[in-house]
Amino acid sequence: MKVKRKRKDDGKELHMIENPSVGDRVADVIILIICIGVALCSVLPLWHIFVSSISDGQELLKHEGLLLLPVGERLNWEGYKAVFKDASLLKGFANTLLYCVAGTALGFFISVTGGYALSRTTKMHTFMVLFCTVTLLFGGGMVPTYMVIRQLGMVGTRWSLIIPGCTNSMLAIMMMNAFNGVPKEYEESARLDGAGHFDVLFRIMLPQVKNMSMVLILNSVVGQWNSWFNASIYVPNNRNAWPLQLWIRQMTADNENFLLSANPDYNRYLIQYVLIVVAILPIIAMLPFFQERLEQGVIVGGIKG
Amino acid sequence: MAKIKAATQEIYMPPKVTWKKDLKKNGTAYLFFAPMFIYQVLFAYLPMFGILMAFENFKVNKGYFKSEWVGLQHFVTLFTSEEFPRALRNTVVMGLLNLTIGFIMPVIFAFLLSMIKKKKTKRLIQTCSYIPNFVSAVVVCSLIREFLGHDGALTGLLSALGFEQQNWLANGDIPVFWLINTFMNIWCAIGWGSIMYVASIATVSGDLHEAAAIDGATRFQRLTKITLPCILPIIVMMFTLQVGLVFVTGFDKVLLLYMPSTYSTADCLQTYTYRLAFSSGANYGLSSAAGLFQSVMGTALLMISNYWNRKVSGMSLF
Repeated sequence: MKVKRKRKDDGKELHMIENPSVGDRVADVIILIICIGVALCSVLPLWHIFVSSISDGQELLKHEGLLLLPVGERLNWEGYKAVFKDASLLKGFANTLLYCVAGTALGFFISVTGGYALSRTTKMHTFMVLFCTVTLLFGGGMVPTYMVIRQLGMVGTRWSLIIPGCTNSMLAIMMMNAFNGVPKEYEESARLDGAGHFDVLFRIMLPQVKNMSMVLILNSVVGQWNSWFNASIYVPNNRNAWPLQLWIRQMTADNENFLLSANPDYNRYLIQYVLIVVAILPIIAMLPFFQERLEQGVIVGGIKG
Repeated sequence: MAKIKAATQEIYMPPKVTWKKDLKKNGTAYLFFAPMFIYQVLFAYLPMFGILMAFENFKVNKGYFKSEWVGLQHFVTLFTSEEFPRALRNTVVMGLLNLTIGFIMPVIFAFLLSMIKKKKTKRLIQTCSYIPNFVSAVVVCSLIREFLGHDGALTGLLSALGFEQQNWLANGDIPVFWLINTFMNIWCAIGWGSIMYVASIATVSGDLHEAAAIDGATRFQRLTKITLPCILPIIVMMFTLQVGLVFVTGFDKVLLLYMPSTYSTADCLQTYTYRLAFSSGANYGLSSAAGLFQSVMGTALLMISNYWNRKVSGMSLF
């Protein structure tokens, strides 16, 4: 915090001694315009999708180009109604939520306990670090992994989307670094009071690494929410286990053939847009609250890895 | 990551600590490692063993040991085929585009951002630019279809610039898909990728700028003579990290976007491997051979990038 305040002061002093020339002012305006342009490019496509989702389907099909306001005589919420009436899409939502919660919980548990074991002074320390580093460097690849998961009997079940991708060596090593950063005195005093590893980890150490834990959890939730590839190879035929993202892909594909159907239901065409809005909205809503945490995660990850 | 090494060196084990004592003291810690151990064995080490498939005419019902052994035949087939060298070329080209244009854009954006004086405006712009990073690959690709399809908004813009109106995603001519892929990745990463640079530009001492300004340095001069040299180590570090990961990331978007008419420019190693294994008439042996080639290449790149990183920044992953 102190550092931050100092930086701000530096900035102020700097501005005081500066006498911006005309050229400087023009440069400022150009820079601002470019940056706002980037921000608009980031947001406008999503806005386009949102206004499409409340447009009139038939009018929308005729429209070309970027939409800033919904087309059609009045706002059309039929697409949203259709989505919330569709049992399989609702199931997709429930699945995505399940994968987010279960995958994150399991992955977090494994990373934390693994990271803790890696960070302790033990005889096996070198072996354990090596054991994790090898898999960081080299992997079997897509097909052998698929075969293993198939032989474990997970293909076609929800387990294949919860267990295999829930953690990796990188996360355990990040956790290890976080634990290594906690002053030794914490552990020593707890030890003197008779605490074992179990108490040390869950009652002493874990509360000290809240920041890193938060970063791990957030990244895992976002990753699970957005993941589609694993589902497309492990549960392609079990629609009951499809996450939301696979349904979006399906709807996009359906829409390409939409005009071929004889008697089209135009609200059906809107479902793709509605699904995208619903899939993005929670993440955009949480972004402002977690922005700083996530930024910290990037910076820490960049410096250490 | 430098800490792993440091931690290994710091550990001082008096010789009198026997396995028995260690087990008594740290038994629970080893128990804590068990989930990670099982996880790694199942999903990382067993698949490595499964690489055997690359040298076999693998049949699922016969298993690893009873399938017919073919030696290096799959690799010969791969390199003499038309598709594999093409996929390799596309992977390299798209990787290089991401490493050059794709790498430099966030850096430029960070410089521009750091010159915005109003804190709130800067924050708002940053927040907006982060959003695409959190949009899933499926949605990004839906957006691309929407905007570059025959009636899309970007297609309209390109038509206004004199290009023929068409579905750009179905265009198999040489730079089209490569450029789409590059700009799509830039759209996703420009804001998020700039975080590291914005943070390090903010740590450049204000005193340096002040002194230079008093001596009459213009803002552009201060940018190239002070800010850039100060954050150059970070830029180099990020670059080496990217080199290590360049062929690993981003293929799922290609998988969502490509179609038979663009295989010639869009197909990359991962998508080729995927098609061999998961389309009809799956050839697991050939597919894992392609996957093995890709794994080895990825590992080599990681080693090179790690070695390079240790040289220039003194930090390394392992």
